[in-house]
Amino acid sequence: MTTLVVASLSAREVGRRWVALALVVALPFWFYLVRRDATGQSLRMLTLGIGWAISTLTLFVVNASRGVDPRLRLTGASVISIIGGRLLAMTGVGVGLALGYWVLTVVDQEVRHPWAAALMMLLSAVVAAPFGSLIGALLPRELEGALALLSVVAVQMLADPAGLTAKLMPFWSTREVGTYAVDGGPTTMVWHGLAHAGATWLLCAGATLAIFHWRLRLVRYPEP
Amino acid sequence: MTDWPAAFEAELLRLGVQPGRARRLADETTQQAAETAGAPGEVFGPAHLYARHLVAELSAPAAAPGRTRFEAGPVMLSLAGVGKRYRRQTVFSGVDLTVRGGEVAAIVGANGCGKSTLLRICAGLTRPSAGTVKRTPRVGLVPQDGGTAGWLTAEEHFTLFGSAAGLVSGRARSTGVHLATRLAWRPARQQRAQQMSGGTRQKLNLVLGELHAPDLLLLDEPYQGFDQGTYVDFWQQVFAWRDAGRAIVVVTHLLHDLQNVDHVLDLGER
Amino acid sequence: MTPRPWLHGFLDLCLLAMLRERADYGYGLSQRLAAAGVADVPGGTLYPALLRLEEQSLATPSWAPSEAGPRRKYYAITGAGLDVLGGQADDWRRFRDGVDSLLSPSAVRHD
Repeated sequence: MTTLVVASLSAREVGRRWVALALVVALPFWFYLVRRDATGQSLRMLTLGIGWAISTLTLFVVNASRGVDPRLRLTGASVISIIGGRLLAMTGVGVGLALGYWVLTVVDQEVRHPWAAALMMLLSAVVAAPFGSLIGALLPRELEGALALLSVVAVQMLADPAGLTAKLMPFWSTREVGTYAVDGGPTTMVWHGLAHAGATWLLCAGATLAIFHWRLRLVRYPEP
Repeated sequence: MTDWPAAFEAELLRLGVQPGRARRLADETTQQAAETAGAPGEVFGPAHLYARHLVAELSAPAAAPGRTRFEAGPVMLSLAGVGKRYRRQTVFSGVDLTVRGGEVAAIVGANGCGKSTLLRICAGLTRPSAGTVKRTPRVGLVPQDGGTAGWLTAEEHFTLFGSAAGLVSGRARSTGVHLATRLAWRPARQQRAQQMSGGTRQKLNLVLGELHAPDLLLLDEPYQGFDQGTYVDFWQQVFAWRDAGRAIVVVTHLLHDLQNVDHVLDLGER
Repeated sequence: MTPRPWLHGFLDLCLLAMLRERADYGYGLSQRLAAAGVADVPGGTLYPALLRLEEQSLATPSWAPSEAGPRRKYYAITGAGLDVLGGQADDWRRFRDGVDSLLSPSAVRHD
């Protein structure tokens, strides 16, 4: 119950920050437009843009609720319903964004496996929510968090895709699935991508939850 | 709302009124509303709030000028030898305080003597370095600032905090709006917390602190930004809570507030 | 109209005084209070006060049918109610005279 209320109110909160929302929605589009001539590049950039946009938005939402969370705990909410509700909302926003851009690419580009392109963008959005919330949990100020996200995305963009650095980055999975979507190849790439995304999601969501469990812990006092 | 009498009776029962008496009060209240040709909800407000109000009124002694004080109830909060240290710096130590239902305690002292820290310890948000704390489980905290989500409206806050306490949205909102009117505040539908004046945001904070009907209220200088009229309303509200059997701890630096409180804890003197 | 906090301590007194004149029911009492210019008392304040008078045996209730609509609960003042009213009326007069003496300009020349 609480999870759903937190989710719906978080979504509403995001909807009201419409300047930030417009910039975030537009961001993947600029990425896409720059390399529109090359299908593979444009799709990869677009997907990375989606990941960056959703993780930044999640970071804002997590930071904006710092004052409210301890009081919600005192009123009786559990940590998992607060954090889970927020992740749910941001994942929903991300899935919407990804589907919108998927329609654009299918119309605008020749993609060999359109379903894999959809999967790639969905993975990016789904991983971005817990990743953004983890950065938000670690870095309390919006600017610091946004800079950290920028660094991660830059490294992701520039790292040699075959190297270890790229594999340690949170959005490596989308590159793997994306290559299959555009150029074809063995389906094991899709499975690798899914496994990486799953592991990243579990790690980020688990770490977020652990940090907030510690930060929002309540001392238990005996009754008088 | 057709189930108003049922909701009213249920809340009376929950508050410990005998079943026969609760039934009689529910019947009478319905008939009283009919006298004024209004629905009970319009005449008396939300059923559960009127039930609380009625029970508090009926258990009060005859209201005369200079209303007599309540008998103190069960202990809601007790601190024994409580201290707080950050690394090597001692913020305070050896704090003893016992607050019962129907009592108001004030924590006073200069800035930086740890008033807010002590309140957070009472809430359970900060762990004391020394001493023991005993506390009733139902507690409401009103922080000095912050504590609200800037992009949400008052009613959305009511929904959010209500759901944390297990209330459905409609009931949380009607409770919140009703509690707001006691502070002479009518929440604007579209106004977000960040657009409110400081005083209005503090009223929102107060309402959120008592939305789940806690037995112990912890208030951290909650009237900053209040104008004079609201300031008076605030203390009347504190005494109304007290008369309803709740325990209240107020952090304050205004000494003229202290004549009506039961305990004064001076942290600065220690 | 009178500010609400002023009335708070004197609502019981006003109710008892009106009941001394004649037995009445809740809505009738609230209209009489309004007509006298004392206060527009909301139902949520009036009815608990009446119930309290009843529980303290300062007023006794009786049910009577009305020409239209539901039956009404009429309150009549009791002997104990008259005693309390007498005492409170004295308190009120002292209080009112005190406030008056502070308000009137002649108070300055009293001593």
